[in-house]
Amino acid sequence: MSVAWQFYISTVLVYLGVDVIACWGLNLQFGVAGLINFAFIIFQAAGAYTAAVLTLGPAIPAAKGGFQQYVGGAHWPFPLPILAAGVVGGLLALLVGSFGIRRLRSDYEAMVMLVVSLIATSVVTNQVGLVNGPNGLALVPKPLASIVSLSPIGYQWLFVGITAGVCVCVYWLVHIVTSSPLGRTLRAVRDNEQAAAALGKNVTGLRMIAFVLGGVIAGISGAILVEFISAWSPGSWLYPETFVYFTAVIVGGLGNNLGVMVGALLVPVVFLEATRFIPQFGPPGFIDALQWIVVGVLALVFLWFWPRGVIPERRRRFPPAAEGEEAQPLMPAKAGR
Amino acid sequence: MVSTLVPAIGFGIVTASILAVAGVGFTLQFGVTNILNLAYGDIMTAAAFVAYLVTSAGLSVWLALAAGAAFGSVFSVLLNRFVYTPFVRRGTRLFGMIIVTIAVSLIIQNSLLAIFGANFFSLQMPRPASVTTAGMVFTTAQLGIIGIAIAAMLAIHLLLRYTKLGKAMRATATDPELARSCGIATDRVIDLAWAISGALCGLAGVILVINVTSFTDTTGAQFLIPIVAVAVLGGIGQPYGAMLAALVIGIASELAAAIFSPEYKDVVAFVILVAVLIARPQGILSEVATGKEVAA
Repeated sequence: MSVAWQFYISTVLVYLGVDVIACWGLNLQFGVAGLINFAFIIFQAAGAYTAAVLTLGPAIPAAKGGFQQYVGGAHWPFPLPILAAGVVGGLLALLVGSFGIRRLRSDYEAMVMLVVSLIATSVVTNQVGLVNGPNGLALVPKPLASIVSLSPIGYQWLFVGITAGVCVCVYWLVHIVTSSPLGRTLRAVRDNEQAAAALGKNVTGLRMIAFVLGGVIAGISGAILVEFISAWSPGSWLYPETFVYFTAVIVGGLGNNLGVMVGALLVPVVFLEATRFIPQFGPPGFIDALQWIVVGVLALVFLWFWPRGVIPERRRRFPPAAEGEEAQPLMPAKAGR
Repeated sequence: MVSTLVPAIGFGIVTASILAVAGVGFTLQFGVTNILNLAYGDIMTAAAFVAYLVTSAGLSVWLALAAGAAFGSVFSVLLNRFVYTPFVRRGTRLFGMIIVTIAVSLIIQNSLLAIFGANFFSLQMPRPASVTTAGMVFTTAQLGIIGIAIAAMLAIHLLLRYTKLGKAMRATATDPELARSCGIATDRVIDLAWAISGALCGLAGVILVINVTSFTDTTGAQFLIPIVAVAVLGGIGQPYGAMLAALVIGIASELAAAIFSPEYKDVVAFVILVAVLIARPQGILSEVATGKEVAA
């Protein structure tokens, strides 16, 4: 394989890893807990900014030749910025959830989240001192690059390995959550909020748990992405980006971790990478616009024909009570039976 | 201080006028049909582009206003007929409908981008003169906007209070099943609600871009922040609440712009939205609590 192809494939694999991680996070919120978080991308952005700032080191003032300003710069060694990104994503979710997750109707909740996403972009763009405003952060050092001495292509594959490792960890986390009693309760809340509440489940608290876990995972995905592409700006996290992940989760199969992985492969990667190989036509930005239109149509088509996605969520069956065996009383009447 | 605040109140009244038209349209349609239409802002942008085409052809701004309103109205009815209603009939619930509306929003926004390109646009109209009243400076265009908003609000008030259609709309908003049993053709009422709300939406899109110096394909989507704040503060589905809320948020955001900086306009609307969500979420309880589903 030529070096150029290796470079391209390794890059796409890292993107795929990031998208898969993000989709698992969104699936936890949207597919499992039934939260429509149209602000999902801001948690990824928060993680990305955190990782970038904690890798870049203290900001250099413009007078001394610094070209970007931000708060809280530090030089943390490799895995720490990524973990910190997860923590920040989770904390931000806690903050947004404190007013956004309040037993609202699901569509109001979605509307509030959309507004949160819009306002976050506008605040970060205008508060230049926070994370360098519209220009964003650049020249984020690559993790471990100064320690390991690898050829550029070797480093690419090292990063693919790191991403794969994180994918495994995140899969382990989402698998544990979705297959545990917690996951079952979350699905119960999603399918019938009233019944779950009647059984004494703390509906708001449970949804909050899913929201925060999703925030943590989103933050981690952002951190991986920024450490790889070493730049981040508000242009990368406008609210339509969230919609790509929603489409991926819907196409893959709501509530199914494997399905969502397929969705992440199909929508953000195959679908959006494919346009790289068609000849450019129309004025600048024309193909991008068409891409968004197609993603929107794709979501509509799937909601119409296959609302459960290509790999639907497994219907969970519980063994029915056997013939003649009536529902057992909680306390046996006679101990010797 | 006062010298900057009084003109800010003037700007606030203009912003409030635009917000009132947009907010009442948004909340009216939602109240009757129970579909939260996130494509609303993008229909506003599309109407603005229609107005842009009309003024570029050398026709008057008044004609552009009418064209924008007509476009919004027809487009909204068709959107409901051919996209939203079929999805609802097929069994898509609130949960799915919100994804449908945001997909439509992206499709409209990017179609505009594909057709018109990523440029800044402004309406071709004669440079308006300025008028000073009570320390507030308005351009004649801004006075026109205020006049249009007042006329539109009055028309909505008369419609809701004194016509059979208004009564039928209020009945459908309260309980569609019961309204149908009482012999109200809810299908027709819903169509008309989309038509009226669409006209307000188109009108709001055009007066929004008359007031700003330039607009792009995302102008309407960005305006969704104050519209949502108005709808929530006014109580979703409450046109009169929306009128009052528009006045509050319009003036508050322009005052904040004058005192701090223009970037804080939307932040004020957002803070009000969050405050309402924390302090008084009764008006917007979960679907289980209110027992309402989408009507079509």
